[in-house]
Amino acid sequence: MTETMIHLSGVTRLFGGVKALDHIDLEVRRGEVMGFLGPNGAGKTTTMRILSGLLAPSEGSVAVAGMDVLENPVEARARIGFLPENPPIYGEMTVREYLAYLATLRRVPGRKLRAAVDRAMERCGLTAVGDRLLRNLSKGYKQRAGIAQAIVHGPDVVVLDEPTVGLDPIQIREIRALIRELGGEHSVLLSTHILPEVRMTCQRVAVIHQGRIVADDTLDALENRAQGNSVHFLRWKNPPAADLLRRIAGVAGVAPREEGWLITAAPEADPVPELVRLSAASGWDLRELSQAGGSLEEIFLQLTTREERPEEGAEVSP
Amino acid sequence: MRAIVTIALRELRGMFYSPLAWTLLAVLFAICAYMFNAGVLSYQIQMLEYQTYGMRGGLPLTERTIAPMLGNAAVLLLLLMPLLSMRLIAEEKRQGTWPALACSPISPTGIILGKYLGLLLFLGIAVGLLALPPLTLYAYGNPDTGQFLAGLLGLFLTAAAFGAVGLAASSATEHPNVAAVVSFGVLLMLWILSWMGNASGGTVDKMLAYFSLMNHYQNFLSGVISSADLSYFLLLSAAGLLFARQRLMADRVQG
Repeated sequence: MTETMIHLSGVTRLFGGVKALDHIDLEVRRGEVMGFLGPNGAGKTTTMRILSGLLAPSEGSVAVAGMDVLENPVEARARIGFLPENPPIYGEMTVREYLAYLATLRRVPGRKLRAAVDRAMERCGLTAVGDRLLRNLSKGYKQRAGIAQAIVHGPDVVVLDEPTVGLDPIQIREIRALIRELGGEHSVLLSTHILPEVRMTCQRVAVIHQGRIVADDTLDALENRAQGNSVHFLRWKNPPAADLLRRIAGVAGVAPREEGWLITAAPEADPVPELVRLSAASGWDLRELSQAGGSLEEIFLQLTTREERPEEGAEVSP
Repeated sequence: MRAIVTIALRELRGMFYSPLAWTLLAVLFAICAYMFNAGVLSYQIQMLEYQTYGMRGGLPLTERTIAPMLGNAAVLLLLLMPLLSMRLIAEEKRQGTWPALACSPISPTGIILGKYLGLLLFLGIAVGLLALPPLTLYAYGNPDTGQFLAGLLGLFLTAAAFGAVGLAASSATEHPNVAAVVSFGVLLMLWILSWMGNASGGTVDKMLAYFSLMNHYQNFLSGVISSADLSYFLLLSAAGLLFARQRLMADRVQG
């Protein structure tokens, strides 16, 4: 189960003298869903295009399922499915024709073609629209068709570049469930800048910033690294004064956020039970209590703070 | 091989999904049929004149009817082929479907051959359609079948070379319109190259005459299939395909 399915080593890519990627090392193992985070222009898309053989790296080596992308490009591509930022849709084809076409190109044998197409449509919720022209489908269905083409040939590695962009909340939930499911048989590299998405779908996370990998670890380890203390968001109908909150045992910090308070626990302490008890006893009328989405967001911001002062030419896209 | 055929068939079907291929065939056929009829009518009148003055023998039927039509068909295709070939690669890049193709386990050579084969299949249909009007001559006269077939082969090879140049242009840009303009310019230049070629008979002139598409096609129309003409068209087509392949390979490096 520890077989490396994606292996990038020292990958550098220049675009006319500008370094879009600077010695990227990345490994994804079999059956793993890896989140690939980074601000816009950090090099996510470039990395994915190199991985899928659309771009050649200026330096370094890339292997997909043990096949070197540079030495054995065709064989490497047979083992990968790629959803680019914009789904590659042939408008004049029906969903079924489209998937059958790409499955054939990707060496699904004729007798298994129908089953492969049916399965991909089923997994992506496309069965009902199988005979409709892609051109006439909504954005969400086009996106699903894009995902379906990335998995129709049963590749070892699936690379998804921002798969949930432009979808409605229900679709997003379905797609995330699908991605989690994909992790079972395929290795998935998922680029996104939606942090909750990472928490919901990924086991490991790599953060890229200005062409460099600045973090590569499991989600838990990253969050622990971000802070040993946990943060909770609480909202009351009759909020107490901040000073009062600070004096509660186990509270290390209090910060206003939106209509409530962001409460940081002291190391090894858990102030939540006491907070809940006080809320009830003092009539503060607690309305919301949640683990703050802060931790991953914060580490992300810590790692990529330089983005706050955007530099000219920092955004490099092919 | 399966991938090449798959790409070719999708390409062919894609052409007929859009109104362009149908329109193109209709226009081509209508104009050629009109020209053919005009040729036959003027042939009849000339023959009548011949007989009126009691001249012996007759005028060569194929030379006067079929050859001019096929000659004009090539000029029409010179105008129309760029419109058909411009989309082959440029459209995929513009529409964003290119990654789906380029990430599939096919070499750039395979992609180019598939696209080209699709275009050739379309040309086969077009040339087959243009063979229909001359066939009616068999009911009334005795056309030279050899010359007729040589002409059809010449038309197919000429159009195939047009297509290869168009494919090369289409691989070099993301804008189909630009590809069409470029391939039209190159083809027209190749077509009229011999205008300067017959001036003095010097080496340069001879070279220009050799590179002229029109000269080679003329030989086919007069019923001569020579290896020199055959190799000219094959080389021109191969050059177009090679250029396109190099472009695709360079895309990966240049991004």
